[in-house]
Amino acid sequence: MSDTFKVEDILKKISGCWTRAKMPFANKSMVTLLDYKDDTIKFVIENTDLSVANALRRVLIAETPTLAIDWVQIEANSTVMSDEFIAHRIGLIPLTCDYVIRNMIPNRECECDDFCSKCSVEFTMDVSLRKEGALNVTSAHLISSHPQVLPANARTIKRDIPKDSDCLSLFEENSGDVLIMKIRQGSQLKLRAFATKGIGKEHAKWMATSAVGFEYDPDNALRHTLLHKPEEWPKSEFSELLEDGEQAPYDYMKEPNKFYFTIESTGALTPSNVVLTGIECLRRKLSDIQTHLSFMQL
Amino acid sequence: MNAPPTFESFVLFDGEKKIIIDLDTKVPNAALFTVNKEDHTLGNMIRNQLLKDPHVLFCGYKQPHPLEHKIILRVQTTADYSPQDALKNAITDLISELSLLEERFRSAIQDRQEGID
Repeated sequence: MSDTFKVEDILKKISGCWTRAKMPFANKSMVTLLDYKDDTIKFVIENTDLSVANALRRVLIAETPTLAIDWVQIEANSTVMSDEFIAHRIGLIPLTCDYVIRNMIPNRECECDDFCSKCSVEFTMDVSLRKEGALNVTSAHLISSHPQVLPANARTIKRDIPKDSDCLSLFEENSGDVLIMKIRQGSQLKLRAFATKGIGKEHAKWMATSAVGFEYDPDNALRHTLLHKPEEWPKSEFSELLEDGEQAPYDYMKEPNKFYFTIESTGALTPSNVVLTGIECLRRKLSDIQTHLSFMQL
Repeated sequence: MNAPPTFESFVLFDGEKKIIIDLDTKVPNAALFTVNKEDHTLGNMIRNQLLKDPHVLFCGYKQPHPLEHKIILRVQTTADYSPQDALKNAITDLISELSLLEERFRSAIQDRQEGID
């Protein structure tokens, strides 16, 4: 009973133009959180359709907006790397944008001539080495003009990486900053850059997720995949089978209705924010079509 | 290099319409909705939702070509109902489902955070 009541309340809230007494075909899905870390989130959605869960997965990968550097002006570069190479690497650095992304507009929709505070965040960098030796140029050298938009740091979103692992021993201080390049004595790198809002469909640098795990039917009861040797396959972490080495018996009446998501954020948004903006994004796409449809009727 | 710009997959061209409705000339209560700059994300979800409606006799969608960023949705309904209304109701249902999902996700996160504190 409480469920029906809730749905109608929400419907009234979101659509003033269209109200129906009942929502007979809307699913009442349920969410269970399994795990919530600084960079990953695991949850289950129940009582929904494969199409809706898959739409959410697709939106999380390709259409959740974030900020990324999109325009770089190199003022001085006496390093061994070419300007293009540096610009590309700087673009790929995730920027934290939890608090600003909702209020920003994509640069191409902005009324300003090139860049303004509504559509972009400015970054500067000026690194040079006079002493002997080598210096790591990292994302920490990027100076942001906005206190809440900073290069994401693997250390501040504490990841469980052993300190003495090989890839990290490359870094002198194991700081968690993103290594851009190394420079030697006498080299200088000076640049100006603008980060803009975008989505992963345009370029992978705007992706909010680095990995999206999507699973239903962990024991293959639906036979959507054919396992030639089921005993050789590792069991899913969500498996409900007690015995080893077998898949569940084929259930031809079953339909997928429990969806396991594992979402790993790039650091641009917190994992819960990734999901919330993803859902909002999907809803906006739908309401956009709804508005276009009702305009056509007039 | 002649690759089309990547934003073509989600930004409408100048003067391009988001939706075009073509009524079927031979079948009553049937229409083809061409939705520009959309893909399987919405196409499959909307089709699936329309199929739950008992007044919808036929519903299917296709993306005609991977380089043409549009989907074509065909809907046929019973006599007392129109494809436009069916589509509107399906979208309204999906929006309410997502709103409920969002609310439940928020409360799940909140419960977890309160549990930790």
